[in-house]
Order: sequence, then structure tokens, then C-alpha cells
Amino acid sequence: MQQMKASEKRNRKRPDGPDKVTGRLNYLTDLHFPHMLYGKIKRSAYPHARILSIHTEEAEQLPGVRAVVTFKDVPGLNAFGIVTPDQPVLCEDTVRYVGDAVAAVAADTKEMAEHACSLIAIEYEPLPVVDDPAEALGAATPKLHPDGNLLHKAHFYKGDVDDAFHKCTEIVEETYQVPRQMHTYMETEGGVIVPEPDDTLTVYVGTQHGYKDRFQLSRILNMPEEKIRIVSSPMGGSFGGKDELNIQPYGALLALASGRPVKIHQTRQESVISGLKRHPMRITMKTGVAADGKIIAHKVDILADTGAYSTLGPAILEFAVEHSTGPYVIPNVKTEGVSVFTNNGVAGEFRGFGGNQVTFALEGQMDRLAYRLDVDPLEFRRHNLRETDEIGPIGQRIASTDGAYQVLQSIKEHRQLKIKEENEMPDKWKVRGIGTAITMHGGGLGYGRLDPAGGRLCLKESGKIEAAFGFEEAGQGILGVIETIVTEELGCSVSDLSVVIGDTSLVPSSGSTTASRGTSMVWHALQKMKEPFCKLLIEKGEALTGVEGHRLQTGKGGLVVTAHDGEEIPIITYEELAQQSTEEEMTTSTNFDFPTTPDPIDSGHFLYTFGAVLAQVEVDLLTGKVKVIDLDQAIAAGPVVNYLGYKGQIEGGGVMSLGYTLLEDALMSEGEYMTQNLDAYLIPGIGDVPFTMKVEAIETLPEDDPYGPRGVGEIGSVAVAPAIAKAIQEAVGYWVRRLPVSSEEVLAEVSKRRINPWTKAMQ
Amino acid sequence: MDKSDAVNVQTENVPVIDLNLTINENPVKVQVEPTARLVDILRDELQLTGTKISCGIGRCGACSVMIDGQLVNACLTMAYQADQTSITTIEGVSRDQEMDPIQKAFLEEGGFQCGYCTPGMVMAVKVLLEEVPVPTEEDIKMALSGNLCRCTGYGGIIRAVQRMAAENSEVR
Ligand code: FES
Ligand code: FES
Repeated sequence: MQQMKASEKRNRKRPDGPDKVTGRLNYLTDLHFPHMLYGKIKRSAYPHARILSIHTEEAEQLPGVRAVVTFKDVPGLNAFGIVTPDQPVLCEDTVRYVGDAVAAVAADTKEMAEHACSLIAIEYEPLPVVDDPAEALGAATPKLHPDGNLLHKAHFYKGDVDDAFHKCTEIVEETYQVPRQMHTYMETEGGVIVPEPDDTLTVYVGTQHGYKDRFQLSRILNMPEEKIRIVSSPMGGSFGGKDELNIQPYGALLALASGRPVKIHQTRQESVISGLKRHPMRITMKTGVAADGKIIAHKVDILADTGAYSTLGPAILEFAVEHSTGPYVIPNVKTEGVSVFTNNGVAGEFRGFGGNQVTFALEGQMDRLAYRLDVDPLEFRRHNLRETDEIGPIGQRIASTDGAYQVLQSIKEHRQLKIKEENEMPDKWKVRGIGTAITMHGGGLGYGRLDPAGGRLCLKESGKIEAAFGFEEAGQGILGVIETIVTEELGCSVSDLSVVIGDTSLVPSSGSTTASRGTSMVWHALQKMKEPFCKLLIEKGEALTGVEGHRLQTGKGGLVVTAHDGEEIPIITYEELAQQSTEEEMTTSTNFDFPTTPDPIDSGHFLYTFGAVLAQVEVDLLTGKVKVIDLDQAIAAGPVVNYLGYKGQIEGGGVMSLGYTLLEDALMSEGEYMTQNLDAYLIPGIGDVPFTMKVEAIETLPEDDPYGPRGVGEIGSVAVAPAIAKAIQEAVGYWVRRLPVSSEEVLAEVSKRRINPWTKAMQ
Repeated sequence: MDKSDAVNVQTENVPVIDLNLTINENPVKVQVEPTARLVDILRDELQLTGTKISCGIGRCGACSVMIDGQLVNACLTMAYQADQTSITTIEGVSRDQEMDPIQKAFLEEGGFQCGYCTPGMVMAVKVLLEEVPVPTEEDIKMALSGNLCRCTGYGGIIRAVQRMAAENSEVR
């Protein structure tokens, strides 16, 4: 981790930067329209109840109240859900979690709307609460949905594990428990929904897939999709949490009912109660090694708590199943996953998508086995690591990659340096430990799922080259990525370019801004559009200037000819080109699918990225508190598009997972959230993070790899927890099996082992 | 209960006060309830939406502004407390399109991603550097401990402040 590569110099300042650092950027929750009303959503008073009656009369009569809506006012399908619409927009007879919406109000002020909400009288008959996922499938457990409480089952079988365990010389079995993490995007859900004079609706609300929102809203409102415009960007963070619909349906219903723009901006409490979370899982792994140190048997049981409704729960479970063998070659595998409905909130899409949970368990197994075998944990991993052309984790062919070996090697070298570092301990009641972990993570949605992408290039009359993509900017830096890739591929300059995203009226569908697919898809789109687009421009340029087309190329400011000394000689500017051509605008667009495996194995991924993490912790022997003092990562994800953005994604993902490991859990008791704001739900602050974090980007891909840069939105968050867990074990001997790490448990272990500052646990 | 009466009582009983403020060096007069939150006055009444709101309870710093030179959370400041004060919001930090060096440092070091915490963060850094031009690691941690960022992991923010510290120490 020392040398600066060429790519590290590509530290482009982000195009959205100036407006962000000056506060000039209007987020969608900052918008203000004339005659705008404020909306409030009345959510359930119980985690599970039958609704006996709903009375809104009193609320309706309150001066300043312009609309009150209930299930009766939903013109179309009273349900949503990206794949299976099973969540009521407005509940009619049953509520299944505390975030379920029963009514919504629009009024002149927020206070009036709030007051009106409190006047809506709902009579409930409370029902027994299903809050333990382990009991969800029990015969006596109340059914939350017509088909019962099973959301989804997924499995992967290979070889014969039972037989293989007999041949093992060492077996480790452990149950891991991971928490309900909250995305905690700083901008809570919200925006403004505007009924337009031509009977269309404009929805200014952040989301990760504008076209999907349009589809869902059209179904709910019984309104043709063409009449709905979704402006979905920018967002103050999302991390998967704003992928599903949130306040859009309520804003839309209220806007249509009142005929006026309606703003809804959820408070943090409302966001905690209604928003998605990461799936809590209980994962049991039994892993066995043969005499030669090779893992030959791996049995995995996953129980996921999906909460009240589906959203992307099934896909997340399948992702977890696929990733539960990680980058290792294991001949006998039996993985079974179950995701169940409960009355605990709603779990759904979240950075890492099920990978973070199983990676914590799998890497925990690797460290335990290495410890039992008394071998170096990284050496043990290398011994079982996949080869360049190894088949994928669920038997599918995947794009050839050396990533696993590259990140492992890199983190190993880094660890050697770290161990040698002179560590002066600040005081005798603190001990340190270093842990490492690695992972592989699939990009895109996987085989068998619609995963279309697309983009458009157009020379506008103004002379600007417009690059249009249906992606959203949630902070990840897609605008900077588009700017970098387009200017580099076309040779034009930033000032020649205008980038348009996140508005269904202006951009083509590019699929969702999820699954680390944005960067990859922009690059692919450019590979497809570059030639035809340049050809259009050059043909036009040849006709206008008489310069032979084969000498012309797109350059800075316009078409140019390259002289012998490499200098670009301007021939015609883009503006002249646009204005002198009589026909319509020159446009190239493309539609294609995210690359998938050629093998028909459902949900299998094809493009993988790899990450390795080194964590160093300092454990306070008096309090059991764990402080992370190093969090360094090596990432293999192909060429870096913008180093500053790349590093930011890895550091940010790393710290988010530091929170997952040590601090964060949206605790629930009997279906109620025990934490409702940031005073009790703690995310890492500046004092909780290492002051410097290293990010090593490994850019080399196998020769002839045609797939270009992979996205890094998720990979930096995946293998952090197991690295920290191992570092804690190195420091005090405590094997973490439950997140977030409990100081009490650490302390108990410390006293049990009578660890004194002068006898460090494992050395 | 007579509903309309109840409502009248409610609306009539809400007193309003005349608030005289200086915001970003401009005198401002607004009529609000004495307990209205400064963050709502800024965002909704005055449309100064550079000041953000996230937790509403003083834990995240997204609403940080300067009142008479002190860093405060606008979500915890009531209208009557702000009366007769001089307030600087993020809109007052960059004048006439000219960015503050702190803002430039954030831009160049990747001190933001989604940008939602950024205005508050810039305010906190501004107050810090006015007090301690060359802050230590401890100073930085102390000064920014009330400002949460979910995107960056603080790496870029720390680099931005360190760059400022380096520049300031050269000047000295
Ligand atoms: S909104 Fe004021 S501190 Fe969070
Ligand atoms: S940049 Fe998104 S919260 Fe800080």
C-alpha cells in the first residue's frame, strides 16, 4: 500500500460539489412551491392489529386541512412492493407493523397536519405479535399473510456434506447473530408531489429507480405511466433504503385529492418507524477441514427476519445463500435459507444485500478453523482460495478474475507492515489486536432477473453534448463518474458536456441505481455508443467542412484533426456543428442488459469484486470498550474511474460497517422500536473512526477482460465486521458471535481469562 | 365537544412575536410563534434551505448555524432565543460566488458525498478554525463530534480540515 498509481491522480472534483459545499443545492425535501401544503402520514398504533373503524370527520373539519385520505381513496391497487406488491398503501382491515399507514392528511401547515392526524380516530383490536423469527413458522403462530409466514426459501446443494464431515479432521460449528441496521441516510424520506395543470403528476421524491416508482405509482393511482414524471435526484443518502416506495403514494394521493402541491418530509422518528432496515439474521455454520487443510464440508442455515412485507427480501436471501461460501472452493456444500414474516418493521435492500451478514459468519468460521489448526488465518484462506477461472459459488461460470488472490496478498503484506509498526500503548489497561478478512461480492441483479441498462448521447442545439442516464445521485458520485467516462471516451472537455440524470421525462431507463451497477453500466453504455455517436458527428462535420472524415475526431470544444506533434487542431466547434446542421439533433442511444452468467442458474452473479480488510482494535480492559484504530482495505474492482470517489466509497462503507459491528442495532421489543432517534440509535461519529484509513485499489484485470470498471458502492462494507471481530479475539481471546459487539461480553471474557495488561491473551 | 370551538381556541391562543434578526448580515423581521424552531424559520419561512434538518433533537449537527459567533443547533433554538441575534448560515459563508477556503478544501479532499451533512460540517469547521487555526487531531475530533456524516466515514472531512490546518500554519 505505498505507491501512487496513475488512477489516483484522477482526482476529479465532483460536478455536484460546488453546490453541495455552499449549501446551494436544492434537495427534493428543500423544494417549495406556491400554494404548497404539508402532508403527514398517520401510522399504526400497534405492531399487529385488526382495524375496526376509521373516523376522519373531525380531522376533515379542522380549518386548514385540505385533504384526508384512507384506503377508500386509493383509485388503483392498494399495495406496493418492487417485486410482490403485498404492502398496503393505506391499511383497510389489518396492520402488520408500527410503520403501516392508515391515513394521511394535507394541510396548510405542518402543525395543522399533525394536529389533524391526532384527530383521526382509529379503533383497533390488537392481535398477538409475532416478534421471534424462530417461531414464525410454528403451527400455533398467527398467520400474517394469507399464505402464512414463509416469505422465501432458498438453497444450494453440492456434493454430500454428511459424508464429507466424516472425513474431516477438524470441524467448527457456530451460530452467528446479526442486527437490524438502519441506513440512517442523513436526509430522511421526503419531497414534493405536484399536480400539473395538464392533469399529469410530478413527483419530486428521491428514489433509486425512478422508472420503477413510476410503474408502481401508476398501478396505485390508476393513472397511465406517461402522466407521471418522477424527479428522483439528488438525494441526501440512500444506501438501498430509498429503493422501495416510501412517502410517494401518500404525497400523490393527497396532491390529487387537494389539487395542490404537497410536501412530505418525514421526521427522524417517522423514518425510523417506517423505513427499511438491514435483515437481522441468525446464521449457523458447520465447516470441516480434511487432513490436508482443505475445507471439504460446509453446512449453512440462514434464518432471516424480513418483517411485515416482502420488498426485496427473497432476492436478499438468495444473495446470502450464493455468498455463503465466499471466495473459497468447497466440494460439499449444503446451504439452506429461510426468510420469514414477523411484525418487526420491514427489512429490505441495504448496501451489501445479504452479503455482509453471511460474510461475518463465513470469515468467523475461517478464523476459528485456522485457530484450531494453529495456522496463519490468511495462509489458511489462501490454501482454500478460488483460482482465476474457478466456477462461481453456486456452480455458474463467472467472469475470469484474480481478485481473491490479489486482495489477500495485498492485505497480507499490509499486515506484515502493521505488525512491525512500533506500537506504544497509551496505557496499561488497553490491549491491541489485528484481524483480517476477505470477501467476494456480486454486482448486478443476477441471472434470471430483468436487469436492463441504457443511456443516450445527444448533440443539443446549444452545442452541448448531453449524456442522459436514468440513474440517481445519492452521494455515491455517479455524476462525476459519468463526466469522467464520457469526457475520456469522447475526448471532449467538461464544458462541452451536460449530464442529465434522475428525471423520467428527460432520461432513458437505465435500470436501478443499486447493486453496484451504475459505474459499470455507464462504462458499458459508452463502449456501445461511442462509435456510432462519433460517426454521426464526424459525417456531419465532413459534410460541413470538407475535411475528410477519417481525419476528424471528437475533441475538446469540437471536431479536431490531430497534427503530427499530437496537437489537436480545431476544425469546427460543437456549437457550429449543431447549429449548421439542418436536421434534428444527433442522437445515439443504447439498451442492453447487465452482463450475466451464460449458465441458467437463477440469481447467480457474473461480475464480482473483491475486498480485504485489516482492522486493528484497542480493547479497554476496564470497560470492555472496543476502539478501531486501523481500518484499511484492499479492493479489486477493475480500473478506478475517480480515485477520490472510490476511496470515499470504501472509507464510507467501512465506517458504516464499523457501526454495524460495534454500535448499531434498531432494537425491537414486541414489535415496537426501542430506539426512535439518533440519541439511542448510535452511528459512528468522528471520534469513533481511525483518523486515517488506507485504501489500496487493485486495478489489473485478466488480459482481454471486456467488462471494464466494476462498481464499488458495496464492497467496502462487506468484510469489515469479521476483521474487527478477529482483531478483538487477537486482543483478548473473545470470539464474537453476535453483533453489535457487547462490551459486557468482552469484559466477562476478560475477567474470565484474568487478562492482565502484562499477559496479552494470545501471545 | 364543539369541534369548531376547540379549533378556534387553538388557533386564537397561539401568540406570535416579532422577531428581529440579522441573518448573513441582512436585517430580517419575521412574525412567528415564540417556540417556533429556528431551523423551521430558516427553511420554511425564509427559504434558507442550506441549513438542513435530520434528527431534530440536537444529535446530528445537520442544522448547525452560527449565532453571535457560536456554533448552535438550529433545531434546538427557539425563536425567542434567537431574537436580536446575528446569525450566519451556510448561505452567508460564501459571498458573491466566492467560496470560503474551507469549502474549497472540502471540494478538493472529497469531504462530502451526498452533501446533506456538509453545510453543518462546514459551519462547525469554520467555528473551529476561527478559534484554533491549526487544530490537532484531538481538536478536530472534539469540534466535529456533534456533526454526523453517514457517507464519507469522515476520511475526506478530516483531510479537508488537515489541509486547512497546514495552510494556516504556513501563513503564521
Ligand atoms: S437536526 Fe439539529 S442536530 Fe440534528
Ligand atoms: S456526505 Fe452524506 S451525510 Fe455526510
